[in-house]
Formats: sequence, structure tokens, C-alpha cells
Amino acid sequence: MLLLVLDILSRSIMKNVIRFAIFILLMPSLGGASVNRAEKIYFSNKNISNRSEAVTYELMRSKYYFSASIFAKERLIEDKPLDERFEEALTTLILKTGTSTFMPLNEQILGKHKSQAMSFILGVKQFHKKRYKSAVKALNNVKRGHRFAPEKYMMTGSSLNFLGQYSEATKAYKNCMRTSEVSAASANHEKLKRYYDILAESCLIHMARMEYKRNDYKKAVQSYQDIPKTSYRWPSLLLEKAWGNYYLEDYNRTLGLLVTYKSPLLRSYFYPEAEVLTALTYFRLCLYDDSLKTIEQYHEVYKSRSDQLKSILVKYKRSHTFFLKMMMQPIEKLEKKNPFIRNLMTQTRKKIKFNLDLANYKKVSNEYKYLKTKKQTPFIKKLREAVGRSKDWQTRHLNHYIKKEMFDFLNDVHKYSYEMFNIKLEIMFKKRDLLYKNKNLISDRGRGSLENVKRTQKEHFYDFNGAFWADELGDYSFGLKSNCEEVKVKREGGV
Amino acid sequence: MKISFVIVSIFFLMMAARAEGPKNKGNIVYKYKKYESFDLGNLEVKGDIIAPGDLSVQERQRTKMERGLLERKDFDQEVRQDIKNLR
Repeated sequence: MLLLVLDILSRSIMKNVIRFAIFILLMPSLGGASVNRAEKIYFSNKNISNRSEAVTYELMRSKYYFSASIFAKERLIEDKPLDERFEEALTTLILKTGTSTFMPLNEQILGKHKSQAMSFILGVKQFHKKRYKSAVKALNNVKRGHRFAPEKYMMTGSSLNFLGQYSEATKAYKNCMRTSEVSAASANHEKLKRYYDILAESCLIHMARMEYKRNDYKKAVQSYQDIPKTSYRWPSLLLEKAWGNYYLEDYNRTLGLLVTYKSPLLRSYFYPEAEVLTALTYFRLCLYDDSLKTIEQYHEVYKSRSDQLKSILVKYKRSHTFFLKMMMQPIEKLEKKNPFIRNLMTQTRKKIKFNLDLANYKKVSNEYKYLKTKKQTPFIKKLREAVGRSKDWQTRHLNHYIKKEMFDFLNDVHKYSYEMFNIKLEIMFKKRDLLYKNKNLISDRGRGSLENVKRTQKEHFYDFNGAFWADELGDYSFGLKSNCEEVKVKREGGV
Repeated sequence: MKISFVIVSIFFLMMAARAEGPKNKGNIVYKYKKYESFDLGNLEVKGDIIAPGDLSVQERQRTKMERGLLERKDFDQEVRQDIKNLR
């Protein structure tokens, strides 16, 4: 029986190996034919009306997408109107190479042809430049049935949100959710389906954030609750939900949400801001000792480790490849360097942007590798130089992305350290005030029957269940009573 | 000429008289009382009492130092970041 299973397994493995080998062997030759055709068209003396367009199609046929985008950009500079086939080709090129390929084109060229794909790129560009009105105008050219419709609605909603047009923004976000769901249902690949699911969730999150901004915390918290726990974005939203509950003065719920980050399942999610919010919530409950304990732990945990991390990062801050190489290393190796590095890398690896950029980086590297194997002609030289520049840019871009994530974390540690200091000062002020007024808080642990009780911050969640349960994550709530009532100090001897 | 001679003579005579003056008076000795007592109880001051009789400190409001603790007004930065995460 065992031998039979092994035989079946080895056969299926062999089949796959053979298929892969055939693919590897045939790929350059298949591609080579259309690259040769593209070269012939490019140097042809015949009067070809759409030379750039024809070269683009030939290169796309052999899946040289980064090379094809060079000629697609040349075609866009021309004044002749675009046809439907080229419009479709532009959409495919954006999907295969990313929006950054066409971003360097100026706004005049992007808006010249009234192309839906280029209007989308123009919208992205205007949004990044914080020109929200122009972004909305450009994005309006993208129709509801287009491949980029979910992204269009998401950006339109965010632009209108920043312009203060909230009801229109809500409409756009709702359209984003609907179109994303439709696209997810018709997606062929699991990864694509997941991408559209994340888009739909992102639009719901944006709506919650908009409600939060308008001080409608109750509605915002309700919207956050609609995000399923299985979502990739759910762990990072606990903090936002906790802020919503904080402003609703539901401090126990705030603490319950924040304590979720201590669960072993969410080990790689750590936010300095969450620690500050914990200290702040204890402060609002007048539990000054707990607040001080949180501040002390923050300095113990974050300060020393962030200093270590800084010493490693600063050494390579000018490198264009170090962080990318580090990301490619196995997790065990990273863990040895610094506990924060491993967790930061895990957080970055889970980000959509990073995964999309990494996929593009791999694609451009492969294309460059194929071009290097080809005989050097003026045409191939042109392609190699342009794709080489693209590869170099993608490498730097990815490296910069990881580096920024890490330095942002370091800056956050310092920024929130200042906030912790402010809370500490406020506690000292409150304690001094009580002393001057000859008063104590109602259950001051420094006296009475609680004098011998040593309560650390961690004991809070042991008091609740004794352990974290995956299905309970995010649903915890503390049961602490506010300690803000003041009582007169009773002196010994009955005076 | 005569008049001027008379004036100069008078001037010199006056100077001589002034120089000889104090020698004739001798040393002046000032004497003070060695002990003097005042009976404050018997002193009577006429007028009205304005100040309060007992020692008091006027109460004043303590200055409250309001420190700007962390606030989260919006998540706009995160919204922008999400848009950057699009393909």
C-alpha cells in the first residue's frame, strides 16, 4: 500500500517537473519569435501607421510586459486617438507591471486621449499630490464596468471625504463595496479574489474612519464590527476600534480590545500607540498606579530594544539593497538579529502593497534575465537598458518601502515616549492636588485592606479567563470601576 | 589807592580774627541719658482699628496646568496609506 502511494506521488512529482522543464525550455524560444517580429516592425522601412502600437502587441504576446510598456508610452505621446484594442492593452500592462510604470508620464499626456486606464493613473497621481478635485474629475472618466472600477470608487470616496463632501463619499464607498464584491465573485484566481475582498473591506473601513472623523463614534464602532475576524486587516483595526470606544467613554472595552495585542496569536502586531492608549485609559479611570506601570513597561520594553534596532538600521541607511536582502532571509535568521526586526518584517510581508511590488520586482527581474540571454542587437540593447532601469527602480523602491516601515516604527517609539511622559506628569499633578486637598481616591491601593495586594498589569487578563481563546479575541472587556471619586483622608487616632 | 588799602587791611583783620576764634571756646562734651524706659501699656494711640484682629491668609484658586494629552482626531493618514497600497 505504502509503495503504491509512493509510486503515485513520485509519478505526479515527475509529471510536474517535466512540465516545468518544458515551460522553461520553450519560454525563451516562444517569446523569442515575437521579440524578433517586434524588432522587424521597429526597424521596418515600410510606412506602418501605428509602429509603436504594433511593437507593443508583439512584445505583449511573448509576455515581455515591461519592454512593451516602453512602446506603449511612446504611443501615448502621439496625438492619434487610441482604439479599443490598445485601451485593453494599456489595462493589461497596468495590471501586469503596476501603476508606477505609467506614473512618470506628465498630466497632459495622461489626460490627452480620454483613455479610461490613463484616467485612472491620472487620478492616482492627482490623489498623491493631494489635488482631490482634479482626482475626482479624472476618475469620473473610468466607467462602472471597468476593471479598475472598485479602485476608482475607493479613491473617489477618499477624495470626497478629504473635500468634506461626506454624503457623496459614502455613496462612492458603497459603490466600491458593491463593485469589489462583483469582481471577487467573477475572479479566476484565489489571489485576485482575495485582493477584491480586501478592497471591499477597505472601503468599509474608510467609511468607519469617516464617521470617526465626524465624531460619530458609535456608528464608527458599529462599522468596525462588520469587519470579519478572518480579514487580514482585522488585527490592525483593533486599535482604531479602541479609540472609538475611548471617546465613547467605554474604557473597559477599550482596555479589552487593547489587551488582545498581548495574545500569542497577534505577537507580530505591536503598536506603541496602543500602549499609550492603555496608559491614557487607566488615567481616565483614575487608576494611576496601573497607568504608571504601563508607562514603566513601555520604557523597559520599547526603549532598549528600539535603541538596539536603531544601531542596526542606521549602519545601512544609505544602502539600496540591504533591507530587501534582509526581507528575503528566513525568519529564524531574522529572529537572532533583533526581536523587533522579525515582527516588523512579518507585518510588512502581510501588506498588500509590499506583495504587489514584490511580484512586480520578480517579473521585471525575470524579464531582464531573459533579455540578457538574447543576442545583443540595437533593439535588444534598447529593451535591456529600459528594463534594467525599471528593475533598478523596483529594487530601490522595495528597499525604500521596507526601510521606511522600520524607521517609521522607530520614530513612533520616540513620539509616543513623549506622550507617555505627558501622562506621567499629569498623574503627578493629580496626586499632588489630592495631597493639597487632603483627599484620597476612593480605593487608593496605598491604604486599607488592599495594602498588601500586589497587582500587576498582566493580572488583568488572567482575572478574566486565564487564557486567550482565538474565537474570543477582540471581544474582551475589563470590569474595572472608575476610581475617580475623592474621599477625605482619615487620620489615625480619630482626629 | 587809599580805599583799596583800607579794604585789604579790613580783610586781613577779619581773617586773623576768624583764625583765633575756636581756640578761645575749648572742647564741647555731649552727654546722653544712660537708661530710659517706656511704658507701652500706658501709651494711648488715638484712631480706629482697620486690620483684622487674628492672623489670616486669603484663599486663592490654584492654577491648573492643562497638559495636552494624546488625541486621535482622524485616521486620514491611514486612508492615504491604503490608497498607496493599491496596485
